Amino acid sequence: MSTLKNLLLLSSLFAIVFASCQKDDVENPDDNNESELITTVTLAFADSANTANVRYFTFNDPDGEGGNGPTQFDTIRLQANTTYFTSVILLNQSGSAVDTISNEVLEEGVDHQFFFSTAGASATITYTDTDDNGNPIGLQTKWATSNISTGTATIVLKHQPEVKATAPGNQALGETDVELSFVFEIE
Amino acid sequence: MAIATAQAQQPIDSCTLVLSGQVHDAATGEPLPFAEVLVVGLSSGTTADVEGQYILKNLCPGSYHLHIMQLGYETADTTINLHTSMNFSVSLAPSSIKVGTVVVNGERRHHEATTQSITTIEGQELEETRGLSLGEGLTKVSGLSMISTGPSISKPVIHGLHSNRILILNNGIRQEGQQWGSEHAPEIDPFMAKRLTIIKGASSVRYGSDAIGGVILVEPNPLRRTPGIGGELNLVGFSNGLRGAMSGTLEGNLTKVPALSWRLQGTIKRSGNMRSPDYYLANSAYQERNFSGAVGYLKPKVGVELFFSEFRSKIGILSASHIGNLTDLNRAFESNVPLVNSGFDYTIGRPFQFVRHDLFKLKTFINTGSLGKLTLLYGYQYNLRYEYDKDPPLNDSLAALNLPELDYEITTHSINLDWEHTQLGSFKGMVGVSFMNQANLYDGRFFIPNFRNFGAGVYALERFIKPKFELEAGIRYDYKWQQAFIPFKNNNVLSPTRTFGNVSGSLGAIIKPSNLWDLHVNVGTAWRPPAINELYSNGLHHGAAAIEIGDSTLTAEHAYNASATLNLTALGDKLHIELGAYYTYFNNYIYARPELPPMLTIRGAFPTFRYTQVNADFKGIDLIMEYTVWKGLSLGSKSSLLWAWNYSDGDYLVNIPSQRFEHNISYQFNSYKRINNAYVSLTGKNVLQQKRAPLNGDFAAPPAAYFLLGFNAGITIMCGKQPLEFGLAINNLLNQSYREYLDRFRYFVDAPGTDVSVRVRVPIIFKSKS
Repeated sequence: MSTLKNLLLLSSLFAIVFASCQKDDVENPDDNNESELITTVTLAFADSANTANVRYFTFNDPDGEGGNGPTQFDTIRLQANTTYFTSVILLNQSGSAVDTISNEVLEEGVDHQFFFSTAGASATITYTDTDDNGNPIGLQTKWATSNISTGTATIVLKHQPEVKATAPGNQALGETDVELSFVFEIE
Repeated sequence: MAIATAQAQQPIDSCTLVLSGQVHDAATGEPLPFAEVLVVGLSSGTTADVEGQYILKNLCPGSYHLHIMQLGYETADTTINLHTSMNFSVSLAPSSIKVGTVVVNGERRHHEATTQSITTIEGQELEETRGLSLGEGLTKVSGLSMISTGPSISKPVIHGLHSNRILILNNGIRQEGQQWGSEHAPEIDPFMAKRLTIIKGASSVRYGSDAIGGVILVEPNPLRRTPGIGGELNLVGFSNGLRGAMSGTLEGNLTKVPALSWRLQGTIKRSGNMRSPDYYLANSAYQERNFSGAVGYLKPKVGVELFFSEFRSKIGILSASHIGNLTDLNRAFESNVPLVNSGFDYTIGRPFQFVRHDLFKLKTFINTGSLGKLTLLYGYQYNLRYEYDKDPPLNDSLAALNLPELDYEITTHSINLDWEHTQLGSFKGMVGVSFMNQANLYDGRFFIPNFRNFGAGVYALERFIKPKFELEAGIRYDYKWQQAFIPFKNNNVLSPTRTFGNVSGSLGAIIKPSNLWDLHVNVGTAWRPPAINELYSNGLHHGAAAIEIGDSTLTAEHAYNASATLNLTALGDKLHIELGAYYTYFNNYIYARPELPPMLTIRGAFPTFRYTQVNADFKGIDLIMEYTVWKGLSLGSKSSLLWAWNYSDGDYLVNIPSQRFEHNISYQFNSYKRINNAYVSLTGKNVLQQKRAPLNGDFAAPPAAYFLLGFNAGITIMCGKQPLEFGLAINNLLNQSYREYLDRFRYFVDAPGTDVSVRVRVPIIFKSKS
């Protein structure tokens, strides 16, 4: 039966195709993928009386949301009744090269705004930077602390493309990029 | 085609008559091999052999309605009074394109006698779903619902089970897309199908280990067998979203080489933003374009068929669904209007999905008169899925690359070899083996790892067929090997391997003591290995603002299933009732359980879901009633009831469809001059609130009950010899604001409002060059 022979030939041909279609890169997933994460938030507090005196407080989750938990979540410790110049630094440390995301936020300042709030321990926080439209971004702020107390300080970064409100801004709009509640101690 | 009845009231012991004969081509007088000869009402029949000879044994004296079918020929219906064994030959006329076969009782026909509950959608019922997605079209079947992500993404749910528990056979090939996500719709062009068959309940023995919940067969027409060229054109326009779909088919059979047939088919679809009664659904636009081609060389004894299809879609994801964290999600729930608003637009912005699915199929068969039929099926599938987040990366150089944030590519090869043996006495059956080899590549953000799958299965199914009853038994063994490749710190790769192997079996019976009622009973076991997402997913679902974590120690899920379907005809063929009941007990049912407290991330709190296993059961009832009131006026009713329970936690299960009822009144007009198949129908669909939902298993409580009114009408007009079919449909006639429990976007927006659609089908008939 020649048809049977043909069929067998055909099926063996496909068996070869079946076995040989292999892709090597399946075994070697690329860890350094190029998707963007914010892995690190650092707050730098420079004492207005002595700007060389800088305190750094960091939240660090090197693999981003999910996966392993955060590796570092500092308590913010500031002197009572002191004024600080505060900068927010956002980093992506998941790739092979560290990417400074806060520079990108500055560049797209018209679409972003940080919001700060405190509970328990209080500080008066004022914006000291502006975007191209003259509205605050919050990468640079001034914190005037009150008396000795303990509470929380919450920092929220909102992505508000095309909806960012004029000063003082509207936290209810947009999508949350960062939301962290630090333990806040005024000593 | 209406179901006539077989009158056979004699006791079984006198049922020894034999009806035999030959099926011919009416034009040439040549014998027609492999015509189907069905005894209507007995759910039995036979296939003619190579010489067109058929034989039906063990018939009782009485009156029988024979239904004789062969591809490319007009079907013949005839009634025979059988007193002694007799010879009866039939001639079939070659068909031109068939015009508007009206199927009124679409749910009641059992094409292939099966001990399970099976439903077919074709003819008028299928035409009414033109332009809709596969998932939407199937919701008209009792016991089926859909899980959806807004108006543009939907996937079928059978008896409360979906995704990894449902198998879709696309033109005979097991669809290997990316079944896991509820926002991953089946990558299939429903215009390709001339028939959708739904097997409700586990069908693992025939179709493989994942078919725990059921199987959906998407079947195109067989290739044209009569010389000449024909085709059809479908146009559908919808008012909501100003959606449009156009699909064309051209097919032919070569006069000089009668064994050679071909077909080309293509579809384009486009939709703008859909609208719910009070607002537009921002970024719900989508586009789709598909094509397929087939060539077949088919002889009675041997045949080869090649098929290729490509599916491409770009689907906008509702802007309001993309949120940052739990706080944003809560804000979305509390808002009555979507937080992102828009007008009408065809533009698809971020977030969106791009999906491509290629299928190549090769089918060959040898049909020997004495040994049976051997079929070899090879399938190659390539599935690509890109998902783009709402916002491009902040980094300009990254943003300029415009890469998807999620990227998967799955390549699958499959081989099936089936052997159907010729009927031996009352025994009919088949055995088969199958192999599958699959690889996944990911890029972008980690969610599902790279993996390799290898699967093999072997099965046997045997049926014992008597006029008044039928028994069926099947057994299958499946083996699955799976290795994942998960990136780990410092460029290391974890590569865990899991293997699974298990037996599934089924036993069934059909009892048909009279033409007035029959009973189908089936019990079976089924299993499935945990899917890749259930084992290893680990990451963020932006649309759901949830983190999903797999469990690499999950074991196989086992199901024990029993179902019974009773078909009743009463009041002199005026009342038809189909009552189906089912029960499935799951050992190690896999689902994503919410975990407390929410996970702390840089974006704030995220609800976390971890895959886990519990023992659970699903039980339900599907009831269909049809009553002909007077001539063309009929009433119909469908009820789908389902209860599910999680025994391990003593709680309900999440995302189980709520109880639903559909009532219908329709009128079929008599043919008049150039007008055929005219009908109108009004449908009311009542969906209750899901009150059986776990308290802490979801972000928001199940939405309220809703009632939707729908209208359908159709007509076929003959323009000379050219038939034109028109259809009109209005969905959500009262422009009701509602949210469906199984729609993931119910957290954010209402479902679409009134939608008026008009469809035209033009069969294209070229004169055959004979």
